[in-house]
Amino acid sequence: MPEEPPDQAVDEAILVPVGESVTLRNTVAYAVREALAASGEIHFVAPLASSAIGDVSADGKAELEELLERATVWAEEDAGDEAADLRIETAVVGADEYLFGPDDYARVLTDYARSHGVERVVVDPEYSPGGNVPLLRPLQVALVEAGLTVEEAPVDRPTRRGQLLRRGGLLQFATLFGVSFLFYQLLSGFTLSGFDLVTGVVSATVVAALLHRIAFSDRMRLGVIAKRLVRLAIFVPYLVYEIVVSNLLVAYVVLHPKMPIEPRTVEVRSAVWGGMPVTTLANSITLTPGTLTVRVRGQDFMVHSLIPAAREGLFDGSLERAVRFVFYGRDAAGISTPRERDDCRILDTVTENGGEED
Amino acid sequence: MTPTEIAVIIFLGGGLFFTLVAAVGVIRLPDIYSRAHTASQADTLGAGLTLVAVALTLGLEISTLKTVLLLVFIFITNPTAAHAVARAAHEQDIEPWREDR
Repeated sequence: MPEEPPDQAVDEAILVPVGESVTLRNTVAYAVREALAASGEIHFVAPLASSAIGDVSADGKAELEELLERATVWAEEDAGDEAADLRIETAVVGADEYLFGPDDYARVLTDYARSHGVERVVVDPEYSPGGNVPLLRPLQVALVEAGLTVEEAPVDRPTRRGQLLRRGGLLQFATLFGVSFLFYQLLSGFTLSGFDLVTGVVSATVVAALLHRIAFSDRMRLGVIAKRLVRLAIFVPYLVYEIVVSNLLVAYVVLHPKMPIEPRTVEVRSAVWGGMPVTTLANSITLTPGTLTVRVRGQDFMVHSLIPAAREGLFDGSLERAVRFVFYGRDAAGISTPRERDDCRILDTVTENGGEED
Repeated sequence: MTPTEIAVIIFLGGGLFFTLVAAVGVIRLPDIYSRAHTASQADTLGAGLTLVAVALTLGLEISTLKTVLLLVFIFITNPTAAHAVARAAHEQDIEPWREDR
């Protein structure tokens, strides 16, 4: 087959962001059809949320590579006799950066598209690299803003929901039941009388039945949870230490006759994301006297600080590192401070709408 | 006095001290945001040290575990409430007090 003129091929190439998803198979099939109708050039690109998943990032990369390999095999299968016309390229991108939000994903995908001259993106409607964080819509918007043509692969998707939830739901139900039952027995003083056991089973069942769907928003992996609990046990004494130190500092300024406070509102773009990590960090910041989380948007924390020492502590990011340690593992804790990342600033007024420095 | 009693008195004194500081802070500090700071003082070290004293008095029994649980709940609910107050103030566009204005 004669070679096509390169610039035409470049125009018609298709980029498919790849991540673990139930509709990936069908998305690949659609993209291959589209690619064969055009130039036959297709790029499978998997952005790696390296720091976001922390301790599983080494596995994460291998997993993505395996996924890309699978996508390639599928694509060749779908092309059938036309496989020779199909040119497939695969890449894991973003491995050396921190991908926090949709903008970051869009950036690495756009960079890849630019450097490979791709202008058309086919996204999998179930693509969700951020785990339980909804990402697809803002990602699409960001890609369109970057000047790419974005389309969603027209694939069926409703079939899996019930099944997947039911399977995961059983584990979640069992876990929540166990925890509630133990808690009930603890409150009753572990008498283990027949009455306490029966009422315990009843109330634990009610709690688990009502709440198991919302108690765990993430896919449950017992290994990860166990690891996090162990790390949490290390984190709590450290948090208590931080609380004691800042309590003494704040007690000093409150009791000082002149009351030398210098309240400022600061904004810090933290290096954690997802419901639980962000909540943990926000609560830890508030628990520490001298700093108070006023507002959280994504990873942007607006924090009211009472004294300069409290601000400095915040900019040094020790709590942020500790929270990253709990959720993402020891490797993820060795991150540069918000000050070094230039991710913090003192706001002039709380009503200003971000953007300008003061 | 036994060593346990001395420890109980020290922890109780510490808890009282930080609760007092929090009360003084709520009166002295200038605005809603800075007052929310000292609220967390009363709840963290104030209640924390007092509960440690309670746990020491009770010794090793099931009620001691419950005091620890109490502390856990305080550590979860206190920042949530403080944040709710601060956020509500922010939504009302209340500017924080500054010493230079």
